[in-house]
Amino acid sequence: MSRGGARPYDVLMSALSDVEERTGNDLVCGERTPAPWESAVQATCECLSSAGTLDNLERRQAEDRLGETVYARFPVHTRSALTVAHSLMDREIFTEEELRAKMKEVRARLEAV
Amino acid sequence: MSTTHSHAPLKESPLTEFEVLELAVRELAIEKGLFSADDHRRFAEWAESRTYTVGSRMVARSWLDPAFKERLLRDGTETSKEVGVDWLQPTGQGTPSDYTYFYVLENTPKLHNVIVCTLCSCYPRPVLGMSPDWYRTPNYRRRMVRWPRQVLAEFGLHLPPDVEVRVHDSNQKSRFMVMPMRPEGTEGWSEDQLAAIVTRDCLIGVALPRADVTASQVPKQPKGRNGGNKR
Amino acid sequence: MTTTPTPRFQVGDQVTVRDATTMFHTRTQGYVRGHTGTVTEHRPAWIVPEDEAFGIIENGRYTPFYVVRFKQTDLWPDYTGFEVDTLETECSELWLEPAGKEKK
Repeated sequence: MSRGGARPYDVLMSALSDVEERTGNDLVCGERTPAPWESAVQATCECLSSAGTLDNLERRQAEDRLGETVYARFPVHTRSALTVAHSLMDREIFTEEELRAKMKEVRARLEAV
Repeated sequence: MSTTHSHAPLKESPLTEFEVLELAVRELAIEKGLFSADDHRRFAEWAESRTYTVGSRMVARSWLDPAFKERLLRDGTETSKEVGVDWLQPTGQGTPSDYTYFYVLENTPKLHNVIVCTLCSCYPRPVLGMSPDWYRTPNYRRRMVRWPRQVLAEFGLHLPPDVEVRVHDSNQKSRFMVMPMRPEGTEGWSEDQLAAIVTRDCLIGVALPRADVTASQVPKQPKGRNGGNKR
Repeated sequence: MTTTPTPRFQVGDQVTVRDATTMFHTRTQGYVRGHTGTVTEHRPAWIVPEDEAFGIIENGRYTPFYVVRFKQTDLWPDYTGFEVDTLETECSELWLEPAGKEKK
């Protein structure tokens, strides 16, 4: 089980600058076209679930929990990405520092074109 | 055509933080040995290749096998496994974090079912794949519950006054698919033949299957003013 | 995690959807509130969305869910279809009251 959950990770909160902040309490989600990274996150979820690292049902409940508390300012479509990253850090699969470094590396690689 | 597109660098579409986050998390998980890049690619390919043909298969089999039909109507979630769909391991898209139950709605000579989700755009993705664009529009979502016959007429579907139009607004954990009636002219057909005429729109409930129409065939040329083909 | 609660309503019961204004996340549509319909099926019990959304998974209100069928002509005073037309949707027990008992 996740030990934390009550505290947002700073590395994830910094992504808020890049999305439109969520307003209102409803879960209206039908009026946008999903971005390609969203499908990639879903594939990651499937891999983690089938490998037994993070069960889909458990992850979905965590999405609800985290999405309405520590990451409440994020739009609903970002919940899976945030929850997967958050849960893997909670489970000490990797640290926040590792994620920050990896994101820097990935960004540099993708911007090299 | 293809020679006219711009070769300018793609700088105008900046990298988003979530794009970076997604790839970073995926690569860390791979480095830690949780799964391989190939595992990830295969899951993505599998999820994106889901189409409504699974739903068509279920309907065609139900038309031929009353025992299967009975199981499907009684327990859609469980019976889906017989055609290779496990609802506990879906692609997870649609409304996030939904744990879903699957129900099949049977049409009868006096009952026509149609599905909608007014709150967002819940859709039975594991059996129908991605929802059509129009299904996600506010136009469809708001009007289907309010003026169902008008909306159905816009799809070309006119139902007699004595046929009950029953709209299913999937607002909670349930997802629905419509089981249309087997049309005339399909006597003696195989499961494959039958599955081919059960198109996506029939499974949503905005169309009815016909013996002479499959989803893959090019629509017939409309008649037009001058009698169509005669031109 | 929780035992299945005994449903308060049975198939065939007339129920009225409470006309509560929600300040929190809910999945009960505005257009059914205050309207009366018939219970047609029981659904598996679940944490009500109002609690699930706020992370009260373990201690949230675990209630029965129902399929409720409404006559379209009851939902919409100027309904343009036919008398036989219906609409079904699902409601948690928290949102339902026996028909005729709703407070105005």
